[in-house]
Amino acid sequence: MSFRKTLFIVLAIVICLGALPAAAQDEPIQMSMWVRSIPFQTQELVDQWNANNDSQIELTVVPSGEFVTKMGAAIAAGEPPDIASIDLIYTPAFAAAGQLVDITDFVRELPYADSLTPAHMELGMYEGRNYAVPTGVDGSFIVYNIDLFEQAGLDPDNPPSTWDGMLEAARAINDLGDDTYGYWFSMNCAGCNAFTFLPFIWASGGDVLSDDYTEATIASDPIVAEALAFYNTIWEEALVPEGASIDNGSNFVSAFGAGNIGMAGTGNFAISGYTNDFPDLNFGVFHIPGKEGGAASFGGGDVIAIPSGTEHVEEAWRFIEWTMSDEAQIEIYAANGQIPVRLELVDNPYFEGDDRQLTAASALAVGHTPYTTVYNDLFNDPNGPWLEMLQIAILDGDIDGAIELGQERFTQIMEG
Amino acid sequence: MTSQFAVWNLSWVQRRKLTGLLFVLPTVAFVTVFFIVPLLMTVFMSFHDWPLFGERAFTGLANYSELGKDRQYLKSLDFTFRYTLLVTPPIFLLGFILASLVRRNIRFIGIFRTIFFLPVVIGLGVSSLLWVWMLDDRIGVFNKILLDLNLVTKAQLFLGRPNTAMNVIILSVVWKTVGFTMILLLAGLQAIPDELYESAEVDGAGYFRKLFYITLPLMRRFIALALILSVIGSVLSFDQFYIMTRGGPRNSTISIVYWIFNNSFTYFKMGYGSAMSIVLLGILVALTGAQFYVLRERE
Repeated sequence: MSFRKTLFIVLAIVICLGALPAAAQDEPIQMSMWVRSIPFQTQELVDQWNANNDSQIELTVVPSGEFVTKMGAAIAAGEPPDIASIDLIYTPAFAAAGQLVDITDFVRELPYADSLTPAHMELGMYEGRNYAVPTGVDGSFIVYNIDLFEQAGLDPDNPPSTWDGMLEAARAINDLGDDTYGYWFSMNCAGCNAFTFLPFIWASGGDVLSDDYTEATIASDPIVAEALAFYNTIWEEALVPEGASIDNGSNFVSAFGAGNIGMAGTGNFAISGYTNDFPDLNFGVFHIPGKEGGAASFGGGDVIAIPSGTEHVEEAWRFIEWTMSDEAQIEIYAANGQIPVRLELVDNPYFEGDDRQLTAASALAVGHTPYTTVYNDLFNDPNGPWLEMLQIAILDGDIDGAIELGQERFTQIMEG
Repeated sequence: MTSQFAVWNLSWVQRRKLTGLLFVLPTVAFVTVFFIVPLLMTVFMSFHDWPLFGERAFTGLANYSELGKDRQYLKSLDFTFRYTLLVTPPIFLLGFILASLVRRNIRFIGIFRTIFFLPVVIGLGVSSLLWVWMLDDRIGVFNKILLDLNLVTKAQLFLGRPNTAMNVIILSVVWKTVGFTMILLLAGLQAIPDELYESAEVDGAGYFRKLFYITLPLMRRFIALALILSVIGSVLSFDQFYIMTRGGPRNSTISIVYWIFNNSFTYFKMGYGSAMSIVLLGILVALTGAQFYVLRERE
């Protein structure tokens, strides 16, 4: 082949390649979005967006327990999604690693920026810059079965407000029958218990991490041992079904729905689930109490962010901004029983008169979320120190050993 | 033509050598791309603080010195070797018994060989899930049988108790892998000529004499192969613990590969995971060398 001929072919290829992006410009923008498997209204948001916009979003649901691993692998491979709905507790880790687009300038333009749920905004910040905004907000609280409360001679209008009160109620309900239990916890699910057990400690004025999140206070804060002893009593007295000890979270929500459980820690996402899937279930909600009273809640849920490397930052933000609009927040969020991410929209026609929704929304006022880049390693990892500590203390009854181990492994991880 | 391609100028011997080289080239390329390069990369990474994403930094031997302080790493090593020691004998004993049973070429023997071998073809992930459901406390078949026979008074949480979790996992792995050992040992058994047994019988040798003086010595190579494959498989086990117990209860079933996976992909410490992999490779090489030495042909 002559040199001239070769040159001609090479040039022809280059020209063709150059023409491709030009031809593609008229095509609508295609974006990918990832969300963890949690029943927020993400699918509905994406469907509505796709129906009314030129740009199209393809939603991928990733199992919650594998979200961080998969997201990390996708980033490392240079193939992150254009939009990601991330469990808020992981945002500091992703932002610190420089994997999220800085959206501070976009956020400053929002007229309602101040009313976005504070816990989510705080977790979406890193070194004073915004990297994420709330997309699914959820505080933890306790659901209780009103019918079982009445059968056990308890006053359903005055649910327990202390640990002793909860134990008394659980014992009374347990006595109703062989297959009736006072309480439920998923003791082989790390995240479930960060969400529903940590607030018992917080509400009593204690914590497992220091105020600046640099040290573990498991051994130094006596409340931690007392809270573990409280749950250990629930287990020892068989106030939960035996299967609760090995439940990895697959029954975290559904166990209470069966109707033979008196109380269970849960979050807002469960309310619409119970209402839809278990229409006969007569239930109420109360705040997670401290030892002698008080209340606390884990400010959980998802934030939405734009991973670094996407070519569609503007369009991705257009979608994100729309998810926070009045239209989306009321007609998609509130209409489906999901708490709006803008607190001024909690007073909406769909929530009017529903005490459960109002209590759930008010849980966010006492909501707290640990800010640490090693949250996953500390709390959510199924092989992490949090779950191991809980199991040894609560199921094996070795509270001192559990605390010693927890303090040591927490410290080891936090020191890196 | 002659000037363009140098190969035409080669002598016949040189050309033969080149042909030979071309024949092994695909294998060399395959081993280089899929073994040597990743191995060298792993060694390189093990000297770095290498997060899955973000900045990496050279840290020398820090990852290796960290290993001694890692309580879970030592616990995982201990667990993995305890597991290997416990799972290997039943696989071999049962594999040998099954191989002896299906040795003769009688009618329908193929059906039995197929039945015994069938679990091997199922993926370990699938078989682990199968066992998770069979061992379930509410819908599992084992609890149903035990309850119906009045052997237990309430459903057992097999995978939820540290003492039973290891045992039921071993049971499932034996079921899954015994067919493979059976096939290897069967090949060894069938390679032994019948005349040897016949003459031994003439000399009045009983079953155990024949077993220890004819069968086992002549099967040495097959036993060595089966043993090495089985031990390597056990030391590198991961799926069954990841799926059946998630490392629980109380982190008592975290195998060494599981811990490497956790560090690399959950804690994003790729460098540390690499260092552990290199140490594990060293252990496996030593272990395999020792087995080869013990089971070597003495002629």
